[in-house]
Amino acid sequence: MALTTLTQSIKFGDNNINSGNTIGSYNKTVYKSDEDAQIMRWLSPLEPNIRHQGVRTGRFEGIGDWLLETSEFREWREGKGGADKAVLFCSGNQGVGKTYLRYVVGSFEISECS
Amino acid sequence: MRNTSSLVVDRLCDQPGDVAVTVACLYYDFLVQNEQSIADMMGAILKQLIGRGGIPADVREAYQKGKTKLGGRGLLHADLMRMLKIAIGSLPQVFICIDALDECLPRNLLELLQSLRDIALGSPTTRIFLTGRPHVLGAIQRYFTKVVVIPISPNTDDVRNYLHMKLDRDEEPEAMDNDLRADIMKVILDKMSDMCVRASSLPCQSMVNTYGKLCVDSSLLR
Repeated sequence: MALTTLTQSIKFGDNNINSGNTIGSYNKTVYKSDEDAQIMRWLSPLEPNIRHQGVRTGRFEGIGDWLLETSEFREWREGKGGADKAVLFCSGNQGVGKTYLRYVVGSFEISECS
Repeated sequence: MRNTSSLVVDRLCDQPGDVAVTVACLYYDFLVQNEQSIADMMGAILKQLIGRGGIPADVREAYQKGKTKLGGRGLLHADLMRMLKIAIGSLPQVFICIDALDECLPRNLLELLQSLRDIALGSPTTRIFLTGRPHVLGAIQRYFTKVVVIPISPNTDDVRNYLHMKLDRDEEPEAMDNDLRADIMKVILDKMSDMCVRASSLPCQSMVNTYGKLCVDSSLLR
């Protein structure tokens, strides 16, 4: 029985019930059969679900929530526009997220404490 | 930007509604870009889509045929696209989220976008979420002329939320009171616009190096 590769899990973590992400509470996946596990590895050795779990664990609560409330995001999610508007692209340079916030506070501390 | 991608993935996963939603995500990474071939990335999308419902018969059949030839043949891109389209066609609503397109090898980027366009044309309800640096927009527009673009930069709410979190976790809570907390919030938010200008002119590493523990000594506000 394969233990670490992606596929059907007996338990999904953190309410991600709609996701292909299959990280369970024990960060371990259980396959229906050895062949299923082999097929999943044959399809791809990559396991983005594990990568996603790592990213979301380090996320700051509430940061970026504004994006989810924009009309552009809502209309895209609701499928308005069909195939023509299938794609939503969030454009930004590296370091516009957590790095930037740390910079704002960090610079303030340095300038004010010195 | 990864923060944004993971946030969107989780929101899509958790959204209520009558239609069952399936979300597949990919994170490009400059450090391992040579290991992120188009075939492996598209295969990774496929296995997320089929992960919950059991392996479809066509995928199982292709695997069984492949493993008996030449000691086990890998998948071709065309095979993956055929299986992907079948898998997507069997699902009511699919979201594909791909982070950091700019960290995809340039030689792979256009093929990836072409593949995504093929998927979108074959399944108009499929939604595709992409993030990346601004310079990849031109490549995206070659395949999706009506792509909707949202520029990402931290706003006042982000800074406010971040400050709340930092203050809540301060190691010396006894040194904090409501007045000091309010002062810290006000001073930093007032300075934010200036910071925006300065931050945009600094390289990433410089920003990292400036990070330090938040001071709560009230003298810093004077």
